[in-house]
Amino acid sequence: MSSGYSVVGKGLPQIDSFDKVTGRVQYAGNIRLPGMLYAKVLRSPHAYAKVVKIDTAKAEELPGVVAVITHKDCPQKEWICPMFTWKGPVMGPVVRHIGDEVAAVAAVDEELAEEAVDLIEVEYEELSPVFDIDEARKLEQTQVRPDTNPQRPTIFKWGNLDRSFKEADFVVETETRFSQQAQAPLDRNACIASWSGDHLTVWTATQSPFWLRSAIAAYFNMPLIKVRVIGTHIGGSFGFWLQNNFMFISILLARKARRPVRLELTREEVFATVKRRETSIDRIRVGARNDGTLTAASYLHLFDNGAYGNKFDPWQVDADLYRVHSGIFETIGISTNLVTAGDMRGVGNVTLGYAIAKTMDMVAEKLDMDPVEFAMKNHIQTGDTLFTSQEITVAKAMFNKNITIKLSSCGLDECLVKGMEAIGWKDKWKGWGKPVKVNGLKRYGIGVGISADMSGVCILGSNGIFVRINPDASVHLIMAVTKYGQGADTALAQIVAEVLGITLEDIVVSAADTDICPPIMGTVGNASMPMVSRAVKAAAEDAKRQVLKLASQKLEVKPDGLDIKGHKVYVKQKPEKWIMLKELLCMPLEESLSEPTIVGSAAEGFPYDQTTKLMIAHFAEVEVDTETGKVKVLKYVAAHDSGKIINPAIARCQVQGAVLMGCGLALTENMVFDEKTGMILNPNFVDYRIPGPLDLPDPEVIFVETIDPCAGAFGAKGLGDAGTCACCPAIANAVHNAIGVRVDPPITPERVLKALGKL
Amino acid sequence: MEAELKLTVNGEYYELAIRPGTTLAELLRNELGLVGAKVACSSGACGACTVLLDGKAVKSCLILAPQANGKSVITIEGLEDGGKLHPIQECFIRNQGFQCGYCTSGMILAAKALLDEKPDPSEQEIREAITGHICRCGTYPNIVSSILDAAKVLGGGRGE
Repeated sequence: MSSGYSVVGKGLPQIDSFDKVTGRVQYAGNIRLPGMLYAKVLRSPHAYAKVVKIDTAKAEELPGVVAVITHKDCPQKEWICPMFTWKGPVMGPVVRHIGDEVAAVAAVDEELAEEAVDLIEVEYEELSPVFDIDEARKLEQTQVRPDTNPQRPTIFKWGNLDRSFKEADFVVETETRFSQQAQAPLDRNACIASWSGDHLTVWTATQSPFWLRSAIAAYFNMPLIKVRVIGTHIGGSFGFWLQNNFMFISILLARKARRPVRLELTREEVFATVKRRETSIDRIRVGARNDGTLTAASYLHLFDNGAYGNKFDPWQVDADLYRVHSGIFETIGISTNLVTAGDMRGVGNVTLGYAIAKTMDMVAEKLDMDPVEFAMKNHIQTGDTLFTSQEITVAKAMFNKNITIKLSSCGLDECLVKGMEAIGWKDKWKGWGKPVKVNGLKRYGIGVGISADMSGVCILGSNGIFVRINPDASVHLIMAVTKYGQGADTALAQIVAEVLGITLEDIVVSAADTDICPPIMGTVGNASMPMVSRAVKAAAEDAKRQVLKLASQKLEVKPDGLDIKGHKVYVKQKPEKWIMLKELLCMPLEESLSEPTIVGSAAEGFPYDQTTKLMIAHFAEVEVDTETGKVKVLKYVAAHDSGKIINPAIARCQVQGAVLMGCGLALTENMVFDEKTGMILNPNFVDYRIPGPLDLPDPEVIFVETIDPCAGAFGAKGLGDAGTCACCPAIANAVHNAIGVRVDPPITPERVLKALGKL
Repeated sequence: MEAELKLTVNGEYYELAIRPGTTLAELLRNELGLVGAKVACSSGACGACTVLLDGKAVKSCLILAPQANGKSVITIEGLEDGGKLHPIQECFIRNQGFQCGYCTSGMILAAKALLDEKPDPSEQEIREAITGHICRCGTYPNIVSSILDAAKVLGGGRGE
């Protein structure tokens, strides 16, 4: 038998490929139930107001309207989203952003529901909204929410900051205001809620069916066995569809109507009323020596939770990306009267990450040092302490324990070396203040950006998996990993196939159904490959143990002398002695006079001291037209250390897609809010510009497969979000190289021309 | 007051009574259960609702159902032939031309419309043909290579 892997490491097609190319995938919007009603929501036109009076009589009288709810129909409590993404009432007597839910109608069709919504009369008492996080921070009383605003600061400190700043030869100080990106998934989602007596079933697109189940059960004070969440296939999420308030409205309407209710959001509602990437203000000071090393760093990261976000930490790694002797990272979540914010792909490594990258680029410039050389000299290394990792806060809060987190592997140097070669850095980088070339009004620049990202976090939870082997040796992988195009289901099934010596075609992955699957954490934060994979491999190995125990009786060799490959259980020392897997599984057992049943299972958490991180180095080459201000990306290289890549085809596609999203943020995507009212002015695909097939070159993707003892199954680290983290730095630095001025994202033609003094 | 509509969908002839204001997308999804075309924006900006109307790729969310009267519609469900995938579908699988799959029906039909008119398109022409389609997952590189591959396969080895 040959060595090396049979299935792991192969770029196999996604397991649901057939359904995807034939239009058979059951997204939430396809689901219809008998007797189902259609819901519409009345939304606040004000950013901050009291609901003084609400009269639903006319709406209720309309024939075909079955149920109407207002805040008076909601339990007077807040529902809380795990991972701090939401805390608030489903509908309350105070509205906190334009588009906040005020009332909802369930009727026999959508048109009627909309007509009824227009008949609801509401009297508001307008309050004074706050949209800017600096302004919100200054407010004496709690504003926006009845509990704390802003959140208590989260602070990480190490070394002796004052002394280290004094030891610096110079200090670079920056302030950066980050732009507003929308996840903008194509899938508008729907939530279909159906009560059977006191038992609730919910169908919806969610990245976290078990977290949703917990939130619902807690809010309605129900035992968990009475709540069933079926997570459908998702047409893109990027952190968007987790637990969302509109789901609770559907559930409340269904309870009142005593019929299933379907609430589907319009495109405008998806853009304007659910969530967005948080904006932030970063105030950074970095102390450096003339020899190119860093002495101290002070990072202040103020981020916008929006109206209902509840985070006290944006989730990030980049505050540890550069080695400094002393440092402080202080972060504060601040609520504003804009739509809820948080959770978008890359999280703090995009926002804070950009501000840090910009500052470090300015340090390298002051040193007149090649930025790649500067990055190599100063980035974190294997074995270094991660002073700002989120586990530290949680260990202290939960157990009053001070823990140390260390970086278990770092492939950043190799990423930089390979990335440099691919972009042609040595030929193109001419030095600070020198573009790659100038051709009339067009100037060409090159830039590098580095970042790190989480590779799952233990705080996200533990994972349960079942592996059921059928008598014909086909397998059901029962797991609630959600499917939004990231291909984790395929890659994890490949792990099962590898362990059991079968092929990917032999495996079917279950739906993400909380009644069928063991509990699992949300499919977020690059956690599937480093964390869930461990439980998947353990469950497959448990199933394998049961198979080998059976086989040892038939082949008369101890189980540790056997293995499975190519659907055959064989004797390791004598491979010509084997039995077909399906023959073995169909053989009745003498003791029970019937066939065996094989169910492998595992339930695993993730030790906090086995924290891996992803390493990222991106390079961009740009052309800037100094007459129009237009930036064109000519070449893009993305080098990633994500450990062992289980499926290179899926992984490459994920990075390319993430780069497109990151470049959209860098160049064209920005949610625009009216400064006076807080209204979103571009809640559609025409005015919110997502890059298309003509806008950017296909990124070249390089994988550096570091070996990490703390990684997941077969050495996998995470991947999916990472490609967004270094795009803004790479592009902004390239633009700076081209034109000699720094422009923050979105690097639109207007902003470039303004920076050049032409507007 | 309902209108009567006569049209062919995926080779089947239908006579339907529909409410005024019904779009072709709503007709296909709600009346005929053909949910492969998706309504993601209702404004013709994203291409997820694309179907072929008399062979031409159209945004069905912008077409009122009566505009399809007397015409032939092909949806993604109509591409297979007796359970056998169309070569374009096979090329998309081979080249991993999708991630979440939401835009895929529209992309494949846009590819069919292009290749029916232009069997040997350049990469630039392919990119232009799918410009009206948003793929938020960012799978454009693989979508383009899927369509290039399909052109080769359907061309029967032309130019090789």
